[in-house]
Amino acid sequence: MSFRNAPYADHPRRGFADGVRLIPRLWLIAVSLGLVPGPAFAATRPEIHPHTKRFGAGVHGFVEAAYGPKFLGDERTQKDEFSLLEQRLQLKTRWQPTAAWLASWNPELFYKGDLLIDEYDEAVRYEIREAYGLVSPVPWLDAKLGRQILTWGTGDLLFINDVFPKDFVSFFVGRDDEYLKVPSDAARVSIVHPWAALDLALIPFFTPNAAITGDGLSFFDSLLGRVVGEESERLLTEPSFQPDQTEVAARISRNLSSYEVAGYAFRGFFKQAVGTKNQDARELFYPELAVYGASLRGPAPGVGGIAYGEIGYYDSLEDRSGKNRLIENALMKYLAGYERDFPNDLRLGVQYFVEQMLDFGDFTASFQPGDVPRDEVRQLLTLRVTRLFWLQTLEASCFALYSPTDDDAHLRPRLTWQASDRWKVVVGANLFFGTHDWTEFGQLEENDNLYVRARYSF
Amino acid sequence: MRRAAVVLAIVLSHLVPAQSLASAEPPDGRQAMREMLQAYYYARSDGKAAVSMRIVSRQGHARNRRLTMLRLDQADGGEQFYYVYFHEPADVQGMSLLVMKRPGKEDDRWLYLPAIDLVKRIATSDKRTSFAGSDFTYEDVSGRDLDEDDHELLGEEAVGESRASVVKSTPKRPGEVEFSYRKFWIDAATHLPLKVEHYNLQGRVYKVYETQEIQTIDGTPTITKSLMKDLDNERFTEIAVQDVSYDGGLTPDVFQERTLRRPPTSWVR
Repeated sequence: MSFRNAPYADHPRRGFADGVRLIPRLWLIAVSLGLVPGPAFAATRPEIHPHTKRFGAGVHGFVEAAYGPKFLGDERTQKDEFSLLEQRLQLKTRWQPTAAWLASWNPELFYKGDLLIDEYDEAVRYEIREAYGLVSPVPWLDAKLGRQILTWGTGDLLFINDVFPKDFVSFFVGRDDEYLKVPSDAARVSIVHPWAALDLALIPFFTPNAAITGDGLSFFDSLLGRVVGEESERLLTEPSFQPDQTEVAARISRNLSSYEVAGYAFRGFFKQAVGTKNQDARELFYPELAVYGASLRGPAPGVGGIAYGEIGYYDSLEDRSGKNRLIENALMKYLAGYERDFPNDLRLGVQYFVEQMLDFGDFTASFQPGDVPRDEVRQLLTLRVTRLFWLQTLEASCFALYSPTDDDAHLRPRLTWQASDRWKVVVGANLFFGTHDWTEFGQLEENDNLYVRARYSF
Repeated sequence: MRRAAVVLAIVLSHLVPAQSLASAEPPDGRQAMREMLQAYYYARSDGKAAVSMRIVSRQGHARNRRLTMLRLDQADGGEQFYYVYFHEPADVQGMSLLVMKRPGKEDDRWLYLPAIDLVKRIATSDKRTSFAGSDFTYEDVSGRDLDEDDHELLGEEAVGESRASVVKSTPKRPGEVEFSYRKFWIDAATHLPLKVEHYNLQGRVYKVYETQEIQTIDGTPTITKSLMKDLDNERFTEIAVQDVSYDGGLTPDVFQERTLRRPPTSWVR
């Protein structure tokens, strides 16, 4: 997770029909009520239904209602009492053309889109999550073209070489983990070879992380030097759409017996606006970035479980010397993690994450009053505890992040009840603790929230 | 005299079951269990099956799982690759699982979550955990190592119309599993398990596996319907297997990360 000191700004991508206000609360109530005597509960089908459907045939998806009240009633943000109130319809479908002349390319088209009634923003939005074509012109190559989710790396909610866009707003207000990842409009080529696999992603259309604007979550505005809400108004300049601005991300990976080894390279831009273009005009931008890294993952010798490590060098291309106080310095990032399972469906995971600012001397030398103080080394510890109950239909989990250097923490307790094959109810909370207003989690202290989601899948 | 000895040998060879002549050691529990593992989990050298599971709770609520399973053996009784693609329920549709089974070691297991394009490595220290929320454990699905238990041949019994060897398997490291021992009824003809009783630490049966249907597919006897009953919780899981095929030419390159991200259409339909 790397959105520290990020000057958040308005998310530029908005769907159509902003401001269309419906009255979906009735629908929400209907869903909630429908939950109890739902038809799925009566389903004791006499026979196992056979394998008749073709792979991927038909349309799948879900409807979901979500509500997330705030603990503290933060008055800085757009709504005081809640941070999440929405209803969502997701539809997805896969189509595999069977035309003979295409067959050898094994083509596939996939679409997944969300219709969202967002009562927080008072808007109806339509978001295409994925829409891509996939072909294999030769047996050892897959090409995926279009809007897609890109993920790689080894961390559990901590990212080093996964430089693809994220949505921490969704993450902090209690949406499903799926919405942490923001799709990229990209071309991805995967080449498999007995020696190694190569993945290459070309992203011509820059997509930043979804920004915390102050509308939904209050945060520390580095330009104002305090925690702000709606009044934060900043201008964010994205890199222009030009061929030479295309982002390139590559991974080369292979398995050595039970161990996965990978090397990564990236050339593009920071996904957070960590550059200040014009302080008075409150104008920020996304500086150029190159990342080089590696990861290793496999069984922990002797003790059982999975151990992993990842490293990344963030080369801040527009401030390589570290002398420019308006642009983020180069960084080294390190991650070590360990996960194992225990009897009775108990699972534990721990991670240790270090972010080291390079050229720290230049940072302190150019530091001016009002700038956000930083340590050279920031450490982060995470603990994940997951246990399943009721014959694996109830999952209790807690993900805790604690930074001894920033003296802040974030807790994510969650209960997921798979009431039936179709109904799922999730209750959870996002809690933030901190000593200082400007640290990653400390700035979000006023945003503690509880959330409940009910989902019907089909 | 010498001629009489040859005749006697020929006569005897017809009286004694071929099985005991084929193997050097006398028919014991371990041998019966080895044959069962071979027939059940290592049939031929690769296999494909469409699996339907129905999990029925005490209240009669049913949950259904539908998945395609591919298997490739590297060596009989040795390493195996499994690939599982989930079709149902809807909220796990498109998820897939890759398992490198390494007898005597922890399996390597990867889960792919398509919604976030995440290939997740899963710790597998506890093989007694439930498979996909059913009454079958991972070990029931992919086999428990022969060397994990001591196997004792108790005798022979009739199960329905079949003759079965009864084998008692007692864990060598009792603390690691929830049963004190298991009793197998292994079909003398097919070597497939017909019934398995799990005994808890008090010596009481608490879980019963039953084979409900065996079909000979492409010359190989195959369990096509089975049932696992959890007596304590009064629930059960039924498994029905369809579209079974063997030796279809699966290769190791099917069992890699690429397949998690992109199901092989020639195998998964």
